[in-house]
Formats: sequence, C-alpha cells, structure tokens
Amino acid sequence: MFGKAVSYGLLWDFAVCEAVSESQRWILSAMQSHGPELVTMLWRILGNEQDVCDAYQDTFLQLAHYEGGRKPECVKAYIFRVANNTAISMLRRRLAEQKRVSSAVVARKIVSTPDGDQDSPANELDTKCLQETLRCCIARLPEHLRNVITLREMAGLSYAQIGRILGISAATARVYRCKAIQLLAVWMGKEG
Amino acid sequence: MRSINENKESSSKNSKLCAGRFGFNTDWMQNHIANCPRCQRRLSLAGKVNLALSVVKSQPHTLDLLMRANTQAIGVLKHSLREAPKALKLRTMLPEPKLLERWGKYGQSVANLAACIAVLLLMKIGVFSSMDAFQTQGQKVIRQYYTSQVGKDLADEVFAKDTERPSSANSRGARPGEGTSRSRVVST
Repeated sequence: MFGKAVSYGLLWDFAVCEAVSESQRWILSAMQSHGPELVTMLWRILGNEQDVCDAYQDTFLQLAHYEGGRKPECVKAYIFRVANNTAISMLRRRLAEQKRVSSAVVARKIVSTPDGDQDSPANELDTKCLQETLRCCIARLPEHLRNVITLREMAGLSYAQIGRILGISAATARVYRCKAIQLLAVWMGKEG
Repeated sequence: MRSINENKESSSKNSKLCAGRFGFNTDWMQNHIANCPRCQRRLSLAGKVNLALSVVKSQPHTLDLLMRANTQAIGVLKHSLREAPKALKLRTMLPEPKLLERWGKYGQSVANLAACIAVLLLMKIGVFSSMDAFQTQGQKVIRQYYTSQVGKDLADEVFAKDTERPSSANSRGARPGEGTSRSRVVST
C-alpha cells in the first residue's frame, strides 16, 4: 500500500516536472533570439572561449531557475544583466588569480625594465596588453558606470535599449558612459 | 504632442548651435588644444581608451563559439527541453550577420542611386517650373503689348477668354467668336 503511494507520488512529481519543462520552452526562444548578441558581449568582456561558454551557461541556468521557473517581465534585460554580472565576477576572479600568480614575475620585469621603455610605441601597440588593461579597469568601475559601458561598448546596444535594461533614461546612460570613459582614461593613464 | 515635437526641434537646433560654437572641430578649440598640455594629455588618454575599446571590438571569436555555448547551456536544462526540436536546432546554430551588416556593402551604391534620383527629380521639377514661369511671363508681355497697342478693354476681352478656358481653347481649337476678335484686333 505504502509502496504504491510512493510510486504514485513519483509519477505525480514527474508529471509536474514535465509540465514545468513544457512551460519553459520560452528559454529556448530567448536563447535563439538573444544568444548571438550575448555571446559577442561575453567574448568581448572575457576574451576567453571557455569562460564565455561558462558564463553563458550560468546565465541561462539562472534564467531557468528565476523565481521557480517563472518568465521574467523583460527577458532580454534579465539575460543581459545576469550575463554582465557573471562575466564581470569571472573577470575579477581571473585577474586576481593572474595577479597572484604572476606578481613575482611582473615585479622582476619592472625592476629590470628602465622607465623609458614602458611608454615605447611597441608597448603601446601591444594589443593584448591594451585589452587586458582595459578589462582590468572595466572590472574596477562602479556598477552603474560599468553596466552602461559594457552594454554600450561590448554588447553594442543603443542608449534607449540600455535605458530600458537598466531602468534609466537614455540621457543618463549617455552621461554614465562619458563618466566611465573619463575614469577609464585616468586609470589607464596611470597603469600605462 | 505638438509641444513635444517643438521641444525636440528646439533641442536639436540648440545642440547643432552648440556643436557649431563649442564643438571639437571649432578653431578656438583646436588652437587651445595645440597650446594646452593638460588638454593634450586628456585627449591622448581618451584616445587610448577608444583605441582599446575598438581593439576589443575588432577581435572576432571563432565561428562555432555560439554552437558550443548553446550546447553547453542546453546540457544543464531539463530533459524535455534538451530533447525539444528547437534545442537540436540551437546546437548547430551559427552566428548570422545582421540585415544591416549584410546589406551594408550596398549602402554606397544605394546612396548614389538615391542621389541620382533626387537630382533627376529636382531637374524635372526645375524644368517644369521654369517652363511654367516662361509661359506666364510670355503671356504677360503679350498682354502688355496689346494693352499698349489696342487699349486695355480690348486686351482684357482677348486675354480674359484665354485665361478662363485655356485648356478647352487649346484642345477644341479656336472658336468662331475668338478668331474674329483677334483678327479684328490685328487688323486695327
């Protein structure tokens, strides 16, 4: 008797689970419509393919578990904000790790390199170094400025779209971008 | 609604005015930058940020990255979602360029064609309007000539009929009354 009840319970659970999954088909639609943009943004933020895949997976996993499988009011806004936050935390983690690992090597390099060589054209045009510096500085930005700069520059969204995603006006987004560029310029000047 | 549009127009006018007076390419700004080391430094730093951003944007990812990301993401979803036909399609999805990017290369040609059409239209409008002007001016001159030669009343009589029904007069030919009056005028 008890065994029968358990099996009916399991069957019921399975049926509920399947029903939830059926109602979550919109996740695949979201993946289809926003996936390419999202991958491009993550690639530009992270610059590493495995990290991109991980951040993408985390984003859709969070979307699937949003308030017990409910569809957010604005899926695009939710996806982009989650992906942005995930990518930035991954970037911070990676930078901290890199810093820890290579601190000794960098210190040795700085000691051995004369001051004039750091601003040489070859160093300036070292694109990898430039990208890493930029990523490092973006990770340090305050959240409201960082969100705007990543959505504008990395995802290539318009100010109106950014405003809708972040819940601010397009003009505010424009001002935040300008402020972010100013801060990045100062920090990159110090680091360069 | 109207006030909003007016506000938009005025703001766009103001921004244009500001750009004209305080824009980056104004003479006084360029002169100032040429002589101010602080501004030069700030500009070079902003340029460096823009350069870094464009370098980041210009780095392409591999073509199958979207496919791999989709496969990995679908792998953690529920079984029924994983087996859905849409999921199978997503697993082999490749990034497609946007419509604007796809047709971007034809932009120059389309712009040239549009410019040609605009020039042709303007020419056509110009030709027709100048023909019209020529016709009205000619009529005026002839009327003035008749007025000076045969008197205002007679000229009014002749040209009033012409102006009243110019099309019918042209299409149906001259009427018996008109012909006689003209011949009379000429003979006098």
